[in-house]
Formats: sequence, structure tokens, C-alpha cells
Amino acid sequence: MNTGPSSAFDRLETFLSDATGNIKIVERALLGMEGSYVELLTILALGLLAILPILFPPRHRQRWRMFNQILGVIVFIFVVFTCLGVFGMIRNFHRGLTEIGRENIVALYYCSVPAVILTTSMLFGPAFCGWICPTGALQEWIGTLTARWNLRRKEQGWPFSRLAFAGALVLMAVFILWMIRLSVTRLFFIEDASIYWSEVLVLITLLVTWNTARWDRPLRRLRWVSFGLVTAASFLSLRVTSPVHLGFAKVYDPASLLSTGMVILAALLIPHVWCRYLCPWRAAIAWAGRCSVRTIVHDPSRCVSCGACDRVCGVESVHNGHIEPAECHFCMKCVDRCPQNALTVVDDWNRPCG
Amino acid sequence: MQSNHPIEIPEWHYEWKAKQRYKPGQTVWASPALAMLDGRPIAFLGGYDQTLHALDLVNTRILWRRMTNAEIVAPPAVGYIRGRLAVFLASNDRTLYALDAQTGTTLWTRELEPARPTLGEAEMTAPLLFEERLYVGGFVYDRSIARNEQRGWLYVLHPEDGTLRARVEVSRGYVSEPIGFRIHGTPHVAICARKGLLQCFTVETATPQLRWTYQMPHEVMGAPAVWDQDDKPVLVLGSKFGNLIALDAATGRERWKRMAGNWFDNSACIGVVEGEPVVFAGSHDYNVYALRAADGHLIWRRALGGEIYSAPAFFHLEGRPHLLIAALDNHLHLLDARTGRIVTSYYTGRPIWDKINKGENRWGSPAVVEAGSYSVLIHGAFNNTVYVLPLGRPATLQARARSFRGLWLSLGAVALLFFSALPLLYSPQNRNPSNNRDSHASSRPYSGIP
Repeated sequence: MNTGPSSAFDRLETFLSDATGNIKIVERALLGMEGSYVELLTILALGLLAILPILFPPRHRQRWRMFNQILGVIVFIFVVFTCLGVFGMIRNFHRGLTEIGRENIVALYYCSVPAVILTTSMLFGPAFCGWICPTGALQEWIGTLTARWNLRRKEQGWPFSRLAFAGALVLMAVFILWMIRLSVTRLFFIEDASIYWSEVLVLITLLVTWNTARWDRPLRRLRWVSFGLVTAASFLSLRVTSPVHLGFAKVYDPASLLSTGMVILAALLIPHVWCRYLCPWRAAIAWAGRCSVRTIVHDPSRCVSCGACDRVCGVESVHNGHIEPAECHFCMKCVDRCPQNALTVVDDWNRPCG
Repeated sequence: MQSNHPIEIPEWHYEWKAKQRYKPGQTVWASPALAMLDGRPIAFLGGYDQTLHALDLVNTRILWRRMTNAEIVAPPAVGYIRGRLAVFLASNDRTLYALDAQTGTTLWTRELEPARPTLGEAEMTAPLLFEERLYVGGFVYDRSIARNEQRGWLYVLHPEDGTLRARVEVSRGYVSEPIGFRIHGTPHVAICARKGLLQCFTVETATPQLRWTYQMPHEVMGAPAVWDQDDKPVLVLGSKFGNLIALDAATGRERWKRMAGNWFDNSACIGVVEGEPVVFAGSHDYNVYALRAADGHLIWRRALGGEIYSAPAFFHLEGRPHLLIAALDNHLHLLDARTGRIVTSYYTGRPIWDKINKGENRWGSPAVVEAGSYSVLIHGAFNNTVYVLPLGRPATLQARARSFRGLWLSLGAVALLFFSALPLLYSPQNRNPSNNRDSHASSRPYSGIP
């Protein structure tokens, strides 16, 4: 009979398995009820999260934002269980559309969350990325550990850093070692697709740390490739899960653990690495936010070109007060940090789209 | 089922194109029932095509097919009537069929609930042939508002001619298949309502006499598993609340209770591993649990790639205990029952319907013909195919997601694709980000977030 785990890896996996086994506490509490109630609760929770950024006052905005992000992480980890991650939303949106008229509660559930996020993005800007997304929050929080170092590199125009490149090599080594373990233990599951995304993430990290100036912009186009692949997979009914699926999964999955670990480690070297290069939902939200009513407006007459907004932006979407719409997460750090109040949040219902 | 004759049973993928259209929520294939006929193992199984198929596993051919008037969601029972091997099948047309196992000809049929224009769909359970009586559970309901009857029955019939000897109302809803056991020599039958009420009857007399009841914490999808230990049987049953509860079959008192992370969607099974009875159960939390039957102590737990929907099949292969269990990762997993190690996995295809009704379906479970080195598994998968696969020998149906070589080849292919796509992404215009900034600023002097 089994006498228990033997190696350190086994013990780690047993610990993780025990820790994540019963993590969906809300679902557990509602297990006895029909599934629809759990799903309804998820919709309500995410709807609340989407609306809160609109309601919060400008005073202490960044604190409120962090509060909302924490709430988002709690909701995603402890409540959401039907994969409403950045990939799941695209996949399930398509699935929900196909269920309309057949299983309306499923259609409502699967369509409502992406629809709410896209609609709020159309109206109030891409606040999901900066205020709710647990993947973004995770990268932002982990990125604070290396924020000063990365800021120095950014101010110097991202020169080649041996330390950063060594970090990328370590990342690759961790990936390969974990893959060897997975292929030996044969414990990789239906979330296998996340492995390929994290493999690409590792390769991107290598390239970008090697020559940031050359590869940072071109590689951001991969978001659309990522979006295309996830959309195609959903049409083909293929299960493709995001690298941060671990947070949404009901059980411990070693492939998801690896992928989530890759995102966290890579975010130490490149701020918001997942959002910059691979997030398909980021691409969709940027598209939805093109014509948003709420915008950040730059007043050049007030701007003294101090560069405070450039420095504070984690995704490098602000350049001397000018904001790149496709990259902005609407975190409003630039607005709050501007000493001259040259950047302001404006609601303009007559604003031309574009 | 154990075969005493070492007959080689070949691998067989029985694909059957049903005439009926599949509707979501239906059982694609019910669990198989196995029997030896003229020294050859035969599998009997039905499904949404309303037909019972008798599969000759040695000659890989259909022995016969028998169509009913409704879906078949439960395995048949096999037993002897006057020296002839008979198959007892409960179809959702509210009828119990006794068929000759050799030819499929009807020995008798019994309509358990007379037809009415307002009668809705029924759901019948697997029959139980026990102590020379035939027990079967069934749920029938009436669609009329005036006669809004929803009743779950336990029917008792005479196996030789199908005479209805008794029927007992056990629920106002669906019921699980009845199971039989003896307590101090007295025959008992237990049946559980979907709503969680487990009832135990003594069946010495013509009409079953209620002995005890136990209310499970929530809905129950499977039937109780029974373990007869020193004439003190134990019943083990899982619920949709994730409880796995062992009861003293004599008193209905709880012996132990354990909690999983999610539903138990099917029955548990009990087998002896290294001299100790062990309860095996698969949950919707992806885990297979092995618990000591005596006290519920967790021996091991193994996560698989999806919600586990089937009841485990326990058997011995080359003297070692094994488990077969199916999960919603579209794989059938073979596990070492001592440690939970995955010995191998078989890719059994994607469902014929893209949306799985998790927890609401009655799923078919695998079964095993134990014939030493010629052992085979039989599993009606939800891709419409019945798989007969050799155990302990090479099979053409291999695990798709778990191949070592496939994983590394696919990783290499992704890396190759990535590097070959780089020239397409790179263009001289965006070589220097500062160039972009300038152009962006000049073209849009008053920019904001559009």
C-alpha cells in the first residue's frame, strides 16, 4: 500500500493538491443548489467588480484600485470555477452564443461576463485590465519587487542586462526541468495547452531581455495572434486554457502550476510581460475601448514634460503625456502621478471614435 | 467478470451508427453486463439508440440486437431461467424484458406502468436478480396537472414469467438501482432515491418490509456499494454534496463519513488490496479516492485530467489489483489500486455532443473480463464507440495526451513556429520605440485614450 509521498517534488505536489483541492469555497457552499445559482453569483460578483471602478472617487484612487484588484483575485480564485480567465472568456463567449435558445442559463452565464467587460470597456475604457484582471494584478504585485531596477533600465533605454538575460535563462531552465518531470510522471492534463503559451512566453522573455529596444514593440503584435488562436480553438471546440489557469482551476494541475510560475517569474524581468505580448483578452479590450466615453485627456499647456507619467506606466503606453490607446490599461497611475494635473479623466459622450 | 478459460479476446472498436438522434443529457452507452455463453464472454449493453446489443467479444461480431421503445440508461442483469441464460433489461419505455442470451428472443415482457396519454418519460434502473426474485427501480411521472404524480418505485417480479409480486413507493423522484445483501442470513435490498433517502428492506416476505432509512446530505446519483464483511455488510454511498458515507447495513447507522471537493457522480466500488477492503470512488473534483473500508482513512488520492464520471472497476491483472475509471478528459485511466499510480490511459474520443451535462447524466462505466493475460476492458465511450481493449498487452488505442515523445515534439514545433514567425512581426519602422513616440505625438497632438 502507498506509504505517502517520497521526494520533495512529491511533497510539494501533495501540499499544492491539498491546498487547492477545496479552494472554490463558494461553489462548495452552494454545491447542494442547482449549478445556476453558483453561476449567477459569479456573474453578480464580476458585474460588481466591473462597476466599482466607475464609482470610486478620484481621492485615494490607487488604493481603491488595489482594493478592487484584491477583490478580483478573491472572486476569481474562490468563486469562479468555469474558467473565466483571459482565454476562457473568449472560448466561453463563443460557447455561450451557440447555446442561445438551447440552454439559456448557460448562454447567459457564458456570454454575460465577457459582454459586461466589453461593454464597460466601450463606455468607461479598458478598466478591466488595470482594475480587475487577476493576472494583471498578480504581475503588478510581483513586479513591485523589481520595480526600481526595471525603472532604471527603462530610463536608460533598456540596455542589455546580463542579470536580466541570466534571469531569462533561469526561467527557461525551470521550464525545461518541469517539463522533464511532467513527461516522466506523465501528469499533464487537459490544461496542456497552457504549456505552449508559457513556452512562447519563455522564448519572448529571452528575446526581449536580449534586445528590448528591438523586440518590445514587434512582439506586442503577438496578442492578436494569440487572440486568433484562442478564437480558432473555440470554434474548433478545442480546450485551450491560459497559463494562469491555476487560479481558476478546481484542482491542482502541474501543467497550470508551471505556466503560472512562468508568468510570475517573467513579470520580475519584464513588467506586465503577459499583458504586453500574449494576452488575447487585452487585444479584444483595446479594440472595445477605442470609442470609450471615458478617456484620459492630455493638456499640453500644463505639461512640463517631467516624465512622471512615463516612469509610472508599467506597460509603457505613455510617452510625454501622449497615451497609446492599444496599450493603456486605464490604471490611471499617470493621472494621479502628474504634478501639473496635465492628464485628466474626462467623460465625453460626443467624442469621435478613433 | 472472471473467465476460467484462457481465450484470447482481440481488440475491438465497435462503432454503431444509431438511427435515433442524440439529445443532450442522454446516456450514450450504459454500462455493460458481462456473461459467459458457450465458453465465450459476451457483453450486453444499450444506450440512447434504444437497442440492446449483445457483443461476442471473441469473434468480434454482433450476436444479436434487440430494440425497445425508449432509451436504455442502465445495464441489464444476466441470470438463468429454467437452465437458460437470460438477459433482464429495463428500458425507459417502462417495460422489463427477459431475453434469451443466445438468440435475443423474448422470453417475456412486463409493462411496469400502464400507458396513459399524459404519462411522461420514465427512467428505469438496472435490474437485480437476487434470491430468485427480480428487483428493479423506476421513476414515472404524469404530465397532467390534475394527476401530477411523480413516483419512484421498487418493483419485485418473478424472474421466470415476469409476474409482478409487489411494488413499493420509495420516492417522489428518480431512484438508483437496487442492491442485495444478506444480514445474518436474511436477504435485504437497499435502494436510494435521487433525493438522498436510502431505504433498506427485508425481502423474506412477498412484499419488502422497510427496515431502516437514512437521509443522505444531498442528492445521490449512484447506487450504494456493498461490502460484506463477516456477515456485517457495509454500504458506501456518495452524494452530490461531495460526501462519501459508509453505513452499517444492519442498522443504517453511519460508520464514517468523508468529504471530497465536489460531487460523487456515480457509485463507489470496494475491493481487497493487500488483505484490506478498500473503497474506491471518483469525484467531480477530478480525484480518485482510495479509503480504508473499515474507518474511511485516506490511503491515496490521485487527480486525473477531468471530472470523474464513471464508477471504478476493480480487478486483478497479473496478480496485482487495478482500477479502471473514466474521466471527462476523454480518457479511460488504468490505475494501480495499491498506490494510485497511472499505469496507462486510453483516449476514448470526444463526446458526440459538445456540451456535457455534468452531473445530470447517468454515465456508463467500464467493465473487465478477467482472463489472466487475456484480460480485456469493455467501455461504451461517449463518442459512440464501444471499446474492447486488451489489458496488459499492447493496444492500438493509446493515450493521446500523455505521450512523452508527442509532448517534446509539439514543444519543438511551437518553438519552430515562433522563430519562423519573427521576421513577419519585425519591421524597421518599429525598431526604435522613440520613433513611434514621435510619430504618434505629431499625428495626434491632443491625444487621449480613444
